[in-house]
Amino acid sequence: MNRILAISGKELRLYFLTPTSYFAFAIYILMSSFMFYVDFVTYQPSIIDYRLILSDMLFMLLIVVPILTMRLISEEFRQGTDELLLTSPASVTEVVLGKYLASLGVLLMLLVCNLVYPAIMSLFGNLNMLTLWLSLLGVFLMGASMMAIGLFASALSQHQMVSAVAGFVLLLLFWLAGSMTSQNETLSAWIQPFSLPDRISNLTKGVINGPDVIFYVSLAVLFVVLSIQVIERKRWR
Amino acid sequence: MLEVKQVSKRYDGGRGVHGIDFSMQRGEIVGFLGPNGAGKTTTMRMITGYLYPTEGMITVDGLSVHEEARKARSRIGYLPETPPLYPDLTVESYLKFVAKLRGVPAREQKMRTAEMVSRLGLTGREKQSVRHLSKGYKQRLGLAQAIIHKPDLLVLDEPTSGLDPSQIIEIRGLIRELGENHTVLLSTHILQEVGALCDRVLIINRGELVMDGAPDEIGARMENRFAVSLEVRGERERVESALGEWAEAKGISAEIREGTKPQVADESAAKSAENLRDSGQAAVLPDALRETSAEAAAEDTDGASPARRAASPEASAHAHESVRALLTAPGQEDFRIELFRFLAAADLPILELHKENLTLEDVFLKLTEDGGASAEEARSVRKPSASSRERAEEEDAGSPISEPSVSEPADPAQKSPTGGERP
Repeated sequence: MNRILAISGKELRLYFLTPTSYFAFAIYILMSSFMFYVDFVTYQPSIIDYRLILSDMLFMLLIVVPILTMRLISEEFRQGTDELLLTSPASVTEVVLGKYLASLGVLLMLLVCNLVYPAIMSLFGNLNMLTLWLSLLGVFLMGASMMAIGLFASALSQHQMVSAVAGFVLLLLFWLAGSMTSQNETLSAWIQPFSLPDRISNLTKGVINGPDVIFYVSLAVLFVVLSIQVIERKRWR
Repeated sequence: MLEVKQVSKRYDGGRGVHGIDFSMQRGEIVGFLGPNGAGKTTTMRMITGYLYPTEGMITVDGLSVHEEARKARSRIGYLPETPPLYPDLTVESYLKFVAKLRGVPAREQKMRTAEMVSRLGLTGREKQSVRHLSKGYKQRLGLAQAIIHKPDLLVLDEPTSGLDPSQIIEIRGLIRELGENHTVLLSTHILQEVGALCDRVLIINRGELVMDGAPDEIGARMENRFAVSLEVRGERERVESALGEWAEAKGISAEIREGTKPQVADESAAKSAENLRDSGQAAVLPDALRETSAEAAAEDTDGASPARRAASPEASAHAHESVRALLTAPGQEDFRIELFRFLAAADLPILELHKENLTLEDVFLKLTEDGGASAEEARSVRKPSASSRERAEEEDAGSPISEPSVSEPADPAQKSPTGGERP
């Protein structure tokens, strides 16, 4: 556990020492506040409901997550620091979990930034707190699974850009899984459950649906395990 | 301490290492030598657990590096070819991270970090970001990273590559110091480094271990002969006949390489030539150019020279003459004492006596070259004049620490038949 914390501590520190994460945060805040302005201020009469701006926020994650995760593993390979990590007493599992934990920390920071909008809304009327917190939980779960996918993409290449693109493509596939197959009923029945944004609708309605939560958690676990396997495999080659 | 048992690693296309087998004792400094692509780094990576071997077992203190990875790896410190540094972190935060990662107890971390900083001369740079360190400091930080958890076994992959001469000396000093209480395995392609640092050499070629022994033993073991080069003061003919007789009686082959002309004779010859030219000039230009002080001086020496010529007789010139010779005997018998006594009795003082073994360079080339015949050829052709040139070059290259056994390198690249043939 100490080693996991050491690695996630280092990753968090690096997040704040590299310009890319500031860039990602800047994009995220700029775009989401613009969307907030469009949805809340220009669209009259204003409706005091966090869910109105939620979909925009989810879409922003699609762009920001690959930027935030691309560095995580690929940079270690490029700098040769994987030799330090893999020859240290820490196991690959600990290394990957440490990095994943750091990415979750960053995700939490994004969510905190996003709390500004419901705070502004609540000044103008009564905000439903239950749906707010459950929506945020939903966003966190979905973001966590997206971070795991990004982490996996980062393990595939030692070039950050390749990782970012691979992560974006993977995320897009999961994102569009529902809408791509909507014409074909049987295919849709199989693919629809893997759609990322569709699973969040129950939580935004204030309902904790077990399968939804399990879907996000298991997706995260799956891609963390895959990342571990990808790194482990390099040692045998 | 470290045992590497029949370890192989196969890559596509038949590269990799095959059947590496050796062990190391506690406190040894072992040099790992080989041409590029021979498998040094692969072997080191397997020892440190970065790569898994296709076959074989590696144990550190009886712990398998792959099965009991955690315990075994906490006893190993590893400095890869490029130091594994995070350019964005500061020196201090990097060392703290490594200390945590390597499981240094929380209350010792601060102390250990400070210790590393002062020990590796990084004081004053704790807050500096790694990106802005010079290559030498990066290498030191890499070394600090490898020893911060006080490992039993230290594996260093080309620790001095890319450093300037003074940095090389510093890093070598550090390694030597570390060798006092760690077991060190270091790879290098600088041969002097092995001579200067290591108790033992492993030479690897094309993925196979081809030699294992102490640096100064290896040469003797490679070939069964005993060779001595010497410089004797005396006239060439006298030395030649005396040495020749003695050598023949002993079954030793003697080869007179060169005789050095006495210095004084050289000087006076040069002087007289100069005088001759001066006087010639004077004859051509009888009066006009006689005022300059240089020529006045020349006139002075001209006047003095007859006396000087008289003062340097043949006898004294011969007394300063010396002869270089090379004596080679089959077998390993040391004949130096007898030689000394003989020459002393013959009133031929020995100026220099040097045991000529195959140098590490010769061994290295012989073992790593493709055909045995070409290696043999390379060894047999040695030019004494070339050796001094190469030594100068090597000193330029920044390896001033030289050992007796490596102090007179041959020039094996010199394949011209003009060199002295060795029997």
